[in-house]
Amino acid sequence: MSAHPTQASPAVSPGPLPWTCPFCALHCDGFEPQAQGGRFSLQGTDCARAQAGLSHFAVEVSAAVPALIDGAPASLEAALQAAAAVLAQARLPLFGGLVTDIAGSRALYTLANASGAILDHVHGEAQMHGLRALQDRGLLTTTVAEVREHADLMVCLGTQPGERYPEFFHRCGFGREAPGRVRNLVFLGALPPAEGLAPGVQVSHVRLEGDVFDTLALLNALAAGRRLREPAPAVLQGLAQRLQEARYAVLVWDMVQAPAHSTLVVQGLHRLVDTLNRGTRAAALLLGGNDGAQSVNQTLTWLSGLPLRTGVLARGLTHEPVLFAADRLLRQQAVDALLWVASFGPEPAPPPTPLPGVVLGHPALAAQASRPGCVFIPVSTPGLGSAGHLSRFDSVVVLPLRPLRADGLPTVAEVASRLADLVAAAKKGQI
Amino acid sequence: MTTVRLRGGRVFDPVHGVDGERRDLVFRDGRFIAPSPDLRFDEDLDASGCIVMAGGIDMHSHIGGGKVNLARMLLPEDHRIHRTPQQWLETTAAHAGPALDLASCGHCAPGTLATGYRYVEMGYTAAFEPAMVFSNARQAHLEMGDIPILDHGAYVMLGNEDLLLHWLAEDAPPERIRDYVGWAINASKALGVKVVNPGGISAFKFNQRSLDVDERHSHYGVTPRRVLHALARAVHELGVPHPLHIHASNLGVAGNIASTLATIEALEGLPGHLTHVQFHSYGSEGTRKFSSAAQQLAEAVNRHPNVSIDVGQILFGQTVTASGDTMRQHANSGLGTPRKWIEADIECDAGCGVVPFRYREQSYVNALQWSIGLEIFLRVDDPWRVVLTTDHPNGAPFTSYPHLIKLLMNKGFRDEQLARLHPEVAAQSPLREIRRELSLYEVAVMTRAGPARLLGLKDRGHLGVGAAADITVYREGGDLEAMFTTPRWVFKDGTRVASEGRLVATPVGGVHHVAPDYDRTVERHIGDFVRRHGSVHPGHLAIGTDELCVCANGGRLLACALHAPGQAS
Repeated sequence: MSAHPTQASPAVSPGPLPWTCPFCALHCDGFEPQAQGGRFSLQGTDCARAQAGLSHFAVEVSAAVPALIDGAPASLEAALQAAAAVLAQARLPLFGGLVTDIAGSRALYTLANASGAILDHVHGEAQMHGLRALQDRGLLTTTVAEVREHADLMVCLGTQPGERYPEFFHRCGFGREAPGRVRNLVFLGALPPAEGLAPGVQVSHVRLEGDVFDTLALLNALAAGRRLREPAPAVLQGLAQRLQEARYAVLVWDMVQAPAHSTLVVQGLHRLVDTLNRGTRAAALLLGGNDGAQSVNQTLTWLSGLPLRTGVLARGLTHEPVLFAADRLLRQQAVDALLWVASFGPEPAPPPTPLPGVVLGHPALAAQASRPGCVFIPVSTPGLGSAGHLSRFDSVVVLPLRPLRADGLPTVAEVASRLADLVAAAKKGQI
Repeated sequence: MTTVRLRGGRVFDPVHGVDGERRDLVFRDGRFIAPSPDLRFDEDLDASGCIVMAGGIDMHSHIGGGKVNLARMLLPEDHRIHRTPQQWLETTAAHAGPALDLASCGHCAPGTLATGYRYVEMGYTAAFEPAMVFSNARQAHLEMGDIPILDHGAYVMLGNEDLLLHWLAEDAPPERIRDYVGWAINASKALGVKVVNPGGISAFKFNQRSLDVDERHSHYGVTPRRVLHALARAVHELGVPHPLHIHASNLGVAGNIASTLATIEALEGLPGHLTHVQFHSYGSEGTRKFSSAAQQLAEAVNRHPNVSIDVGQILFGQTVTASGDTMRQHANSGLGTPRKWIEADIECDAGCGVVPFRYREQSYVNALQWSIGLEIFLRVDDPWRVVLTTDHPNGAPFTSYPHLIKLLMNKGFRDEQLARLHPEVAAQSPLREIRRELSLYEVAVMTRAGPARLLGLKDRGHLGVGAAADITVYREGGDLEAMFTTPRWVFKDGTRVASEGRLVATPVGGVHHVAPDYDRTVERHIGDFVRRHGSVHPGHLAIGTDELCVCANGGRLLACALHAPGQAS
């Protein structure tokens, strides 16, 4: 360094930002979409998930999709007024779907305050199992770079992560461009992928002993050196030994495999990791948090102090991880309006309900939001039509999203902020 | 353009040596201006019977970032017990309107909204996150951006990342380390650099369970002493005003005074700020092999003008400890109450550990910790080098500051509290013999002027012409704890934000950061390393200025002036 000028901050990273994929919670940022035949396609990966996500977006945005009130086209302003009326008149609205980014989550929380709403994500059920285990016992976790650099053994419990997360093994250093050292990969109760793993990776398959709960209980007993009524199968004994001998073992669970009581699985993982860490190093890696679930959960937690499935109720903030499940609230008619947010694509569609509704969604959701009593406002998709931020599944890294082109649509954050002002004003008028 | 006069208050402004004199203060457009006879005032506020200080500045408080959010997730009960529905309704109704005060809760791990509200109601106008993990910096800025009213900023955690340890292991030249540190500060939009258990967080990933100052990291062969010196030198040479912020080795370990003193020596005279020193001032004497080393620590600080400290006082009750020090947090994970904990190894960069904790008066260890913290406050001669903190939430939530101030200002109150503690501590604590009571002037140094100076914030922490009009007006007389809990008025950049403990406005706070210059060729080396070993595109490492504005919710970017390179802070 030659001098110490004290003026402006130096630009740290000139040039355009890399593109971040919003379509799963790995949020890969190493691939650049190219326009081909009016659609986007990704170079350098055959990730089916990303390609499917991109397929819902044309390179050239055609004529603007109008907002709808009771199925009839309306101006954005009229739709905002109608949506605010729905929320202002509701006594207990539910905010569901919540497929949005961090800016959207921030604004939706302000709107929830204005409307007195309960918030749940479309993946709330899967999130809840991990969350409850965390609230009850805690967890020792790791992150992608840590796995890539330090893990010598990965055990995938009941899951082949590559099926739902095509880039998972690559990102974790078990796929192409893997570090050239010995690494073990065990599929416990799941079949290994047919291809895509690096040659140096030693893959094995171990069958479950009973169900996933039984298997984990046995592994826990073996790792802790507890006496068993009858000897465990040799293959599980071998796995317990490998876990204890590994320098850094990683246990992978996908929260979407949500059998009833899967909270117990996460608790069992925590116990196993805790035991292993008495002698060596080990950590859990929970997959999940797609469609903004991770981002919304993080944002709600920092703003309010409480995670998803919380209501901003008259009696104060109320967190009910079981009672505030969106489908349950709708089934039992415990709520009287539904605001549905789905800004990443035509899914998830709003659940069928006769309740007054507001849908902030991808333009392709118009057809499913055109019933009487429903207001539809098309919104921009972060990472396609607008900038934004999303939190990666391992809950440390937040990535910026770069739009591929303008789509002329308002963001969820912009719509929710306007609605918050309108609802607050309407409620003031009611008093 | 609104001109406000604050008339007739007793002013404590240590930067200008003002010690309780009656003065009028005048401010316009968020800044103090010189009083003059021909000024007309839009507001003329009578502050007679009041004490006037600059807004409080908390330079070490875990207010935003991944581990704080994990603490929130871990403790739903913390958010259920401290406000009954009735209280919630009352406080909500008391505020000016529904849009002013969004719902947010929590006692030891409050939501960001509650964090801003509670700090401001107590007369604080700035708080700094001391442990921003580089790979989590965006989240930290997003969270801090959602803390209303308060100005904020963060120190980026370095000293455990594979990249730096790798370079130190191969004896990279000091210039390379300096440029790397300059890059990291810029890229993460930090105000300073913190090192936590130098090398120890990384060593724990390689299954080392302790790492003393001269012990070698089993993989990199580097010692904490080497890491400390390299970082302290880099920060100093870059001209960053805040000295290296140091969470020393062996946190909480009996006898750790030795490594704390070794840490001070490792600085070799370079500026360094030792944080939460209470947790690092333990001897190993007596039948319980756990004793106070407060005197040794205080003597070392008195002897080393290059060293400043904050205390990390503990106070009794339920809290949660949240630290980057995975090695020590894992060792303590079995001691938590309630018995649950979170830990994470993070991105070949850092780590975090969250362990709930209840400090008990009848616990010998906790009582001694309480006594050690207070001893340190009262034994260090120069108040400009001691900052009042509880290491929120690790020693206690920040809302207990008024109680702590009363303990420091009132010997009788201190003795009463001491008498309630574990009998051995109550009978033997050297605190009994310490007669010092801090003055309001000294409190103003430790809670405003001192931290502002240590951070290089030239227009904060004082009431001089040109400074930002961050002002707290306390009603004089009565109980000190009550006085510091509920100021009469709080102004932020000239806007009244709280009156009698109630919010009246919620403007967006600004972000303090520093932008040292560095040789950009280092970015190529960093990019190469991250491409091989990282998990994000190198182009995503740095937070741009526009992006920081988005994270900060449109708050102002407050760039801190650099010192001349190598100038002492």
